[in-house]
Amino acid sequence: MSIEKVPESDGEIGVTEDGLDYDALADLLGGHVIGRETHVNAEGFVIRPDEVQEVLSTLKTEAGFDHCSCVTAQEYDDRYESIYHLRKYDDPTQELSVVVPTTKDDPTSQSAARVYDTADWHEREAYDLVGINYDDHPDLRRILLPETWQGHPLSKDFNQDQPQIVTLRENANPLQGDHRSEDDPDTMFINIGPHHPATHGVLHVKTTLDGEQIADIDPDIGYLHRCEEQMCQQGTYRHQIMPYPDRWDYVSAGILNEWAYARAAEDLAEIEVPEYAQIIRTMSAEFCRIAAHMLALGTFALDVFGDFTAIFQYAFRDREVVQNILEDLTGQRLMFNYLRLGGVAWDLPEPREEFFEKIRDFLDELPHKLEEYHDLITGNEIFQMRCVDTGVLTPEMAKQYGATGPVARGSGVDYDLRRDDPYGYYDELDWNVVTEEGCDNFSRVLVRMREVEESARIIEQCVDLLEQWPEDEREIQANVPRTLRPDPDKEIYRAVEGAKGELGIYIRSDGTDKPARFKIRSPCFSNLQTLPEMSQGEYVPDMVASLGSLDIVLGEVDR
Amino acid sequence: MLQESAPLPEALANLLGLDPNSTLVMILMSLIGAAFIGSLMMTNTALAGPWAKRKITAAFTDRIAVNRIGPFGLLIIVADAVRLLSKELIVPEGVDRPAWDLAPLVIASTALLGFAVIPMGNGIQLADPEVGLAYVFATASMASVGLVMAGYASNNKYSFLGGLRAVAQNLAYEIPLILTGASVVIFAGSLQMSEIVAAQSQTLVGPIPSWYAFVNPFAFVLFMIANLAEVGRNPFDIPEAPTEIVAGYQTEYSSVYFVLVYLGEFIHIFLGGAIIATIFLGGPAGPVLPGIVWFMIKIWGVFLFTQWARSAVPRVRIDQLIEIGWKGMLVLSLANLMLTAVIVGVIA
Repeated sequence: MSIEKVPESDGEIGVTEDGLDYDALADLLGGHVIGRETHVNAEGFVIRPDEVQEVLSTLKTEAGFDHCSCVTAQEYDDRYESIYHLRKYDDPTQELSVVVPTTKDDPTSQSAARVYDTADWHEREAYDLVGINYDDHPDLRRILLPETWQGHPLSKDFNQDQPQIVTLRENANPLQGDHRSEDDPDTMFINIGPHHPATHGVLHVKTTLDGEQIADIDPDIGYLHRCEEQMCQQGTYRHQIMPYPDRWDYVSAGILNEWAYARAAEDLAEIEVPEYAQIIRTMSAEFCRIAAHMLALGTFALDVFGDFTAIFQYAFRDREVVQNILEDLTGQRLMFNYLRLGGVAWDLPEPREEFFEKIRDFLDELPHKLEEYHDLITGNEIFQMRCVDTGVLTPEMAKQYGATGPVARGSGVDYDLRRDDPYGYYDELDWNVVTEEGCDNFSRVLVRMREVEESARIIEQCVDLLEQWPEDEREIQANVPRTLRPDPDKEIYRAVEGAKGELGIYIRSDGTDKPARFKIRSPCFSNLQTLPEMSQGEYVPDMVASLGSLDIVLGEVDR
Repeated sequence: MLQESAPLPEALANLLGLDPNSTLVMILMSLIGAAFIGSLMMTNTALAGPWAKRKITAAFTDRIAVNRIGPFGLLIIVADAVRLLSKELIVPEGVDRPAWDLAPLVIASTALLGFAVIPMGNGIQLADPEVGLAYVFATASMASVGLVMAGYASNNKYSFLGGLRAVAQNLAYEIPLILTGASVVIFAGSLQMSEIVAAQSQTLVGPIPSWYAFVNPFAFVLFMIANLAEVGRNPFDIPEAPTEIVAGYQTEYSSVYFVLVYLGEFIHIFLGGAIIATIFLGGPAGPVLPGIVWFMIKIWGVFLFTQWARSAVPRVRIDQLIEIGWKGMLVLSLANLMLTAVIVGVIA
């Protein structure tokens, strides 16, 4: 295995040979820890709601927890709770959950946004959907639902039958001034989106321009919010949840998303997946990654070239081959629904030789195709002029905002869950994590293009393994009870490396066959937060390019 | 040589046996001639142009494009016309009415005016004034006025940005364009289009004609690049920039107005092609085939080039465009002009 990374976290408090020493961490926090919980993935420290900033900044600076993956909010019968899932970019297996309970009467907790910038949006979402107030939050507004929404839909007393009347006049004043303020008459407010050729879906970027330069931008999301979390909470573990992940990142990253749920639920219910099924999963997931990266490349070219030009069509032509292979495998082109808890839906299509040949043909062709792309895109001087040193995201900022996936790796943050928190069959295979040091739009594109090569390597090894696999050992499904009822009050946060980054799922079980809380940590959601950071002071075309290089899918941002 | 024959109205009068010295006859004949040249160009730009554009782009991007209506999808233009003309003309609230209505007309008609002085071979040239080249540049530049009108009158911020970009871009590229054109004038010693064509009728070395594209390839390249900016095609399609400012100055136009704006763009590309063909590619000169055919081939060649650039080259940013224009193109075209003047001065 060539992909070992030596954790650089030596000397950090609480780090021992075999993982984290939670007692040492508790000692570090001293009296702040008022209780301890055990989650499946990590220990949880219960702290007081008015000490959040103190505890988190201690953990960040002294214990090295520089990655706030996710903020999960939920309501119990007697309390509200916010959970900060902390990890380390150097070693994401070192996890810690910080649990902040608040009372029912006054659900107010201190905001973590001053410690982790990424908590800004996550807490806004918690406020929006669950109804917890965060003190000292820079901008506590609703994020997914309209400003005029009544109530908090994931809270227990929310009345679903209540009519929601949202008029435009109530939501925003159409006669609002054009400038940021009276003393700033040179700026102009412009709505980029929700219907705009460059927003890749329904994203609304409230932009203030100074000439053509961006003085201020505020991404407004939620147009594609489909209550995915709540829908998952209403489905049974065994079968009813699996179709939903396909609808998060819907541009061909379906199996990667399914795997996120499968991984969390399998660890929660202690299901062992047969090795053969893991190889099929690994292979199909990498196909999805290639398809997703091809689309990212094509649409990014669309943003920079400015039209449906050659490169967009080439990327789609080659993505089509991947789509056909996935169609052969899963029977679907978009909503694969191929993974099952404990395995996959069915074995490879017969005749297997034909299927393998198709894959090998694709893999043989791929290097030429990529060379063509490099000629057309990355080798083009105008393209370089447009992309190098625009949309700069420093590694520090990337970490602050919880950026993951190609966005983080394009900023030189060496973080890939396939290697750092291995699952599936990845740790048995020979491949590399791709990073680029440029921190700009160009690096992010390069990372994706090089990752396609690495995915192809993974697929090739998987195909070799699958070809040689003895026929009577092709076990695609573990023995899983028809109705899955994990033990009550188990909590787990598990993530996989999706096409866009760390796609995490938090599940709390309550002994029934449905999750009590199902929280999705979407990589696009965190990545999109970096947009204002990247485009401040740049030109509109650069903002559009940055948005393209972030490769967001609104289905995953809004869920 | 055909170029030396009389301009079209006079030729028509002679053909019909009318008196070429009568003002009334000349006005009538000029109108007929103008209608003929206008129809000829419209056939190329409005009928063949959109179809060819589709097919060319499709070839570059590995697609098939229109192939359902008529042979090779040729009748698509009929469907297009029905579709575009039957659409509702939406007039947004708060547009600056006279300017907003006039802009599409200005954009479409100014470019068409330029064809009046272009010698297309076989005696097809409406007029041959002594300041022909200056006249062509002047009419082509007037389209910018239309763009600004459209951008400013639309009461839309995207249109507004597009209009501003159009002005900035045209300022930055017209000067190199005209300076490069001027270097040709120094060679030919005349602004008259027929003179410029005639000056290219010799051979340079062996079978290579003394077209200015071969005499001064540097000027030719400069002119081609500046022309891309002039007609607003990649890498300089900044006034429209679909992924940035939606459609720029044309955002608010629909139905017939949109047709006019779109048509104006096509005519503009063809006018650019006509200028290049005349001053750099020997006008209608060519073996075997009649002059008008050669002339059309050359125009379509330039059109193909713009479509190629559009399919394969990324768009530059507005500030980069201005920088290339003022710091690169202007300096190079000035150097080219000086050098040409010196060389011509020494030789002559």
